[in-house]
Amino acid sequence: MNFIKRGFLGITRKKGKSLILLAVIFILGNLISGAISIQQATGNVESTVKERLGTAATIDIDYDEWDAMSDSEMESLEMEEISVDLIKEIGELSYVKYYDYNMTFWLGSESIERYQDEDLDDEMEEDMMFGPSMDFTLKGINYAPVIDFEEQKGKLVDGRVFTQEEVDGGSSVAVISKKLAEENNLNVGDTFTLANDVYTYDYNTGEGDLVTSRDVVLEVIGLFEPQEAKKETEENSESDMMVLMEDTEYYNTMYVPNEVVIDETKYNWEESLKADEELAEMMEEEEESFEYYSPIYYLNNQEDIEAFTEEVKPLLPELYTVISASDQYDNIAGPIESMSKLAKYVLIVAVIATVLITGLVVLLFLRDRKRELGIYLSLGEKRSRVVGQILIEVMVVAVVGITLSLFSGNLLAQQVSDTLMRADDNNEEYFEEYYYEGISTDLTADDVMDSYEVTLNSSYVLGFYGVGLVTILISTIIPLIYIVRLNPKKILM
Amino acid sequence: MILEAKDLNYYYQDGEQRRYILKDTSISFEKGKFYTILGQSGSGKTTLLSLLSALDSPHSGEVLFNGDDIKKIGYEKYRRNNVGIIFQSYNLVPTFTAVENVLVPMSITENEIPEDTKTVAYNLLDYIGIVKNKADRLVNRLSGGEQQRVAIARALATNVELILADEPTGNLDEEMEQEIIEIFKKLAHEHGKCVIVVTHSNEIALQSDQAFRLRKGVLTSYE
Ligand SMILES: Nc1ncnc2c1ncn2[C@@H]1O[C@H](COP(=O)(O)OP(=O)(O)OP(=O)(O)O)[C@@H](O)[C@H]1O
Ligand SMILES: [Mg+2]
Repeated sequence: MNFIKRGFLGITRKKGKSLILLAVIFILGNLISGAISIQQATGNVESTVKERLGTAATIDIDYDEWDAMSDSEMESLEMEEISVDLIKEIGELSYVKYYDYNMTFWLGSESIERYQDEDLDDEMEEDMMFGPSMDFTLKGINYAPVIDFEEQKGKLVDGRVFTQEEVDGGSSVAVISKKLAEENNLNVGDTFTLANDVYTYDYNTGEGDLVTSRDVVLEVIGLFEPQEAKKETEENSESDMMVLMEDTEYYNTMYVPNEVVIDETKYNWEESLKADEELAEMMEEEEESFEYYSPIYYLNNQEDIEAFTEEVKPLLPELYTVISASDQYDNIAGPIESMSKLAKYVLIVAVIATVLITGLVVLLFLRDRKRELGIYLSLGEKRSRVVGQILIEVMVVAVVGITLSLFSGNLLAQQVSDTLMRADDNNEEYFEEYYYEGISTDLTADDVMDSYEVTLNSSYVLGFYGVGLVTILISTIIPLIYIVRLNPKKILM
Repeated sequence: MILEAKDLNYYYQDGEQRRYILKDTSISFEKGKFYTILGQSGSGKTTLLSLLSALDSPHSGEVLFNGDDIKKIGYEKYRRNNVGIIFQSYNLVPTFTAVENVLVPMSITENEIPEDTKTVAYNLLDYIGIVKNKADRLVNRLSGGEQQRVAIARALATNVELILADEPTGNLDEEMEQEIIEIFKKLAHEHGKCVIVVTHSNEIALQSDQAFRLRKGVLTSYE
């Protein structure tokens, strides 16, 4: 009749009480279990989705704020531009892995052909053209190793990337796509010529006239291939076409030192102004510049984005803000986030309720058992064993209750989150999104939902047993210690 | 001298004042004798017994068991190995059977007891007057007299030489009372145990080998 045996007898001889305790633990256990599983599932979503969103951030006008401005506010507004110095200053922050700021310019050519995918109807393209040819995209580079290659958008397959001297000095060198090179029989070391045509527009007829032109001769120093990061999306012909057009655009992109782009843009700009007095006057008034950057920063860690934003915002001119993939996450993952919050509150409330209620129930049981415990003490039983006996009684019931609620709570969580998400799906909001290269993703709310999964993994199981057992242990041991510290005479005589 | 109390003081704090229940009380007991302690209600009998049985501790003074201070032995250990206590209200575990109640102290004590504890427990109960089929009943389905017998069997189960009882027959009729007293006499005279019974009954006191009277915290011999 030692304390262990007494403990088990205590459970079986008082079935009613054991069942009540079991029921209480089971019900509260379901709450805790459900809340933990939802939290874990939302946690998983956040980490997987944020990983997919990447660490890129840029600086741009806060269009929300812009839209919210009244007309009078708009008039008095002095828009400042982001200076290269500021871009560099931000780039030196410790969060930043690497950064770049690019100008882009479009040129045509007499001597080389644009790469065209066979599936794409190029007649259509031809028809759409008037004015200067925009066959080739010149993307200016300030970060010599080329961020697109570092971030696996493209991959250097031949030759080399830029040197810092080439970037600083604006050498006439280019990294072009392998497909484009093959199309035009170009190899590393060859040169090719693009034409920087300057047109004027007649606003009445809508026709353009070629005013002047100059040749741009570039040497091929490297070849790249796009990385097949693009996953196979649904068989949707429209989006397929979009992807194809995007790909084609990338095949016809040439990486060149940013100075080259500045130079060509400046030439085109100045010649245009010379040819068109009206435009020149207008531009002078507005003090418009042709130089405009949207920088892109890649951070070391996804988690740094918030801190980075905090630190950068005070440096920015009025109306500017930091735009990062996290913003998208916030838009897309709204329902998930709110569920996570809900689960957090439920968890806190459930744990507090469990401590209080099981504490109360155990206290009631112990009040009944006080005399019995006094008897054991009067017979010289060690206090630790008296405590041990009651702990066995409560803990065995608790483990059964917790184990049952582990599974049912998990099922419950699945059920609840399914219903919640379906409800949320129906009134899904459509956000007007601005597109940011390198930041915007094709991640949709559905993708987020798909990565949400309530599962029964080992960390959840351990976490739940831990929280549950510790909660019950505390609510049992406190009143118990109070009782066994009394001297037996007080209890028995 | 199996048990000796020396200058026991026990009081309750009444505001600023101390209300003494026991004042410099000394008493000693021998093996093989049946003692009674008489006194009016509220005179401190239960208090004295609780100090002798280490259920409570005195404010000063000491209790010696075979010459050793029970505080040094350790109250818990003293209760476990050296003394059997019987209460007026039986204090049995209600969810256990009679035999299970007897088995409880056997699993707690460090005294040497026969290995086959169950047989010992049944035999003990039988000796005290509880037959097998009653021994397997839950104790709250036994009469008061039967329950007190179970409590006596429990007190004897650990093979102790010292039995302390606080008004063990207070809830029983006269016939049952006499039967229980006979058991105590037998334990003292045939088994050489020291039996100390607190009571307010003169009848019982007259049957004991020695009786004491407790009055206003002072203990006197009673003839
Ligand atoms: N917790 C307490 N606080 C104050 N006084 C108490 C307390 N418990 C008991 N007393 C007092 O101590 C005195 C002795 O009590 P005790 O129980 O020892 O008496 P008793 O002789 O056993 O009486 P009875 O024959 O009625 O059982 C009594 O006067 C009682 O009122
Ligand atoms: Mg009393």
